[in-house]
Amino acid sequence: MRDAYLIGAGQSDYGSFPGESYRSLFATAFENACDSVPDGIETEDVDEAVVGTLGVGGRQLGLSGPAVTEHVGLHGIPVTRVENACAASGYSVRQGVQAIRSGMADVVLASGVEIMTDVSGDAVRYWLGVSGETEWERLSGTTFAGVYAQMASRHMQEYGTTREELSHVAVKNHENGAKNPHAQLGFECSLEDAMDAPTVADPLNLYHCCPTTDGAAAVLLASEDVVENYTDDPIRVAGVGAGSDRVGLFQRDTYTEVPASQYAADRAYEMAGYGPDDLDFAEVHDCFAIAELMAYSDLGLCEPEEAGEFVASGKTKRDGEMPVNTSGGLKSKGHPIGATGAGQVVEAFKQLSGDAGERQLDDPQVGLTHNVGGSGGAAVVHLFEKGLGGDAA
Amino acid sequence: MTDGAHDGIHAVGAYAPRLRVSAEEFADAWGSFEASGIEEKAVPEADEDALTMGWEAARRALEAGDADAADVDWVGFATTTPPMAEEDPTVRLGSFLGVDDDATRQTFTGSTRAGTRALFAALEAETDGLALVVAADCPRGEPSDEREHAAGAGAAAVLVGPDAPAPITDRAEHAEPYPGTRFRRAGSDDVEGIEVTSYDREAFRETLAAAVDAVDAPEDPDAAAVQAPDGGLPYRAAGSMGLDNETIHTCATVQDLGDTAAASVPLSLARALADGHETVLGAGYGSGGGADAFVVEADDDVPAELALDGNTDLSYAEYLRRRGDVTSGEPSGGAAYVSVPTWKRSIPQRHRLVAGRCPECGSLAFPPEGACPDCRELVEFEPVELPSTGEVEAVTAVSRGGEPPEFAVQQQKSGEYGVAIASFTADGESVSMPLQVVGAETSPAVGDAVTTVIRRIYEQEGVIRYGRKARTTE
Repeated sequence: MRDAYLIGAGQSDYGSFPGESYRSLFATAFENACDSVPDGIETEDVDEAVVGTLGVGGRQLGLSGPAVTEHVGLHGIPVTRVENACAASGYSVRQGVQAIRSGMADVVLASGVEIMTDVSGDAVRYWLGVSGETEWERLSGTTFAGVYAQMASRHMQEYGTTREELSHVAVKNHENGAKNPHAQLGFECSLEDAMDAPTVADPLNLYHCCPTTDGAAAVLLASEDVVENYTDDPIRVAGVGAGSDRVGLFQRDTYTEVPASQYAADRAYEMAGYGPDDLDFAEVHDCFAIAELMAYSDLGLCEPEEAGEFVASGKTKRDGEMPVNTSGGLKSKGHPIGATGAGQVVEAFKQLSGDAGERQLDDPQVGLTHNVGGSGGAAVVHLFEKGLGGDAA
Repeated sequence: MTDGAHDGIHAVGAYAPRLRVSAEEFADAWGSFEASGIEEKAVPEADEDALTMGWEAARRALEAGDADAADVDWVGFATTTPPMAEEDPTVRLGSFLGVDDDATRQTFTGSTRAGTRALFAALEAETDGLALVVAADCPRGEPSDEREHAAGAGAAAVLVGPDAPAPITDRAEHAEPYPGTRFRRAGSDDVEGIEVTSYDREAFRETLAAAVDAVDAPEDPDAAAVQAPDGGLPYRAAGSMGLDNETIHTCATVQDLGDTAAASVPLSLARALADGHETVLGAGYGSGGGADAFVVEADDDVPAELALDGNTDLSYAEYLRRRGDVTSGEPSGGAAYVSVPTWKRSIPQRHRLVAGRCPECGSLAFPPEGACPDCRELVEFEPVELPSTGEVEAVTAVSRGGEPPEFAVQQQKSGEYGVAIASFTADGESVSMPLQVVGAETSPAVGDAVTTVIRRIYEQEGVIRYGRKARTTE
């Protein structure tokens, strides 16, 4: 199989944009991705596109893929819409890598877009309900906040995890997001702010939950055969892993782990030949604070009982031993469902390219992205490394 | 008319919502309280109605009588407030309980006398097994009206059959046209009356007296279960029925629960038998001027399980919230829609917690569909009815704004609610499910025991969806 490389990545601002459409946001992300390719890229170079999206303002479009790619002049190429709830564009990146490795394409646009703020808050909750287990979980009266809160209750009971430790996730991610010009909630918050926020679903409060967001993200992938046409500093897709699980939390054997993430991570690590100790940073799915704590252990960064202390100790801050969510994560940067996974790869690209501005880490070599759909019905993990690496090195 | 001594009462059950509002709260809000003799009254939760209360009483009667739903081949449901104006409530009630599909089902409504009408029908039913009479009601009126001030909530169930410890030795009825004493217009939720006091009292007194006069009543019964539209009228009619006030008061529920309409007499009867009274005179009255009277002469103790205590006091404003007077409707939206046909397919699970056992490996699955969660074989699950008590594995309390839109109205009425994942064990295997938590000030903790109850889940397209929720086990 051929290796796949990241040659460019870009995103729109994340936030609420009454003046923008899903197409204009997508165009911004696409243009930023093209501009980030060191040696430039032409629209006609793109062989195929994959678009992750759940919907547009609570509506579903039947041809949402072509609807955005034709807007940026990509009509003619094969386009696929991928939908795996919040992991939609993480899976679009995976599908892009598959297209390259199979030999069916040399340059692939893997992307995602979502408009979430042009409907009422109630309608958003209606719409997001499609991503969960609807017949039993939703009709027991829970939204995603409630389901993750149930995970948190169990985590607290089993491991003694505290509300303060959950709040440290918010403090850290806001500190990082404040240095990200694309972030939706780009401000810092104190531990007191994060502790005292109104409860949404006990034990989770407002600062333990990510916002709803408009935004788009785009990633350009190239095969080993053409990568040198675009950059002298390639970033190799070292590992790809994905997994799935029972959609309803109540149907799983554990409430304090996300098995789909573990399946995905195991496969990605195995493919890359890396382990957690080889990582220089990770972008993990922190739709709720407890999700980030579970990600630490699911990805092998620490044991489950250590997750609370792992964040409270500062180890996952930018200057810590294992920086997590330097972009601000979903909590501060924003969570435009279909764009989230590709957006995480944008951060990985920027960190590995040395283009992360004020939040740049010190010469990272290997990074991981982790994208979860729903409460863990699907997950996808990517490992990226600087250089040609692997067989192509 | 006298029935054989073999038709009588085997067991009784009763239930009232835990919420209470006092007469003082009404007096503070309105300047006076218009329902005499009522100190406080029961208030249904946002997800309770006559059908869910009826199930609560019925399961208690069955439990007290050590009877199984399969032993019941006649079910009568009496109420003036059926959840739907047209749709047979006994079908769902039978399903909640697990009554056989071919059991006879009858609905009695249109009058507060419906409870005694159902009891009489049960005595006349030609059945081999047991007859279950369920009476449940939650009337309401215009906010300033005395009937609204009196309106309460509660349910009673009576298990009837041959060779019972408490035979019904005689019964009679009487009708005299008294239009306007109590009525509810088509399409209205509110009970009204023409409020001509002397006319109302005469109708009540004369009709009941005629019915009582027609039965072979004991001269001095231990207790009298008399229709109680408020806490004063039964006593005004006592003399006409040859009763003294204490005989009525000894089993009255109106002072604590309010006017429970069709459940009024069955509730008092249940209390009388639970308290061990041997001779009980029943006297039911209903709209238009109809009355029933009956006599119970208990030879032995009647098994009873009553849950009539309240534990949460409401302010008047909170009471209005529960009624839905000051709340808005469900927000508009779409998606994540569960169709009625889809819901119908899961009714055994919703109503009776029917899980599935894998014939290959013995594991339980809930809901029982798809591949076995353990061995992953595509099997046809064997149905297993789970116990009603489980253990909390994970929990949250959903605050305002955190609820799905389908639950927005409930959230407005009742406020924050708990949602638990609870595990249920059958023959050594366990299975889990998410359940909303009712009836507690705070959510249970991981490890707590919960018992499932039937409640309204939500209403969509005009169709009420009923299912199981959880209550902390006391």
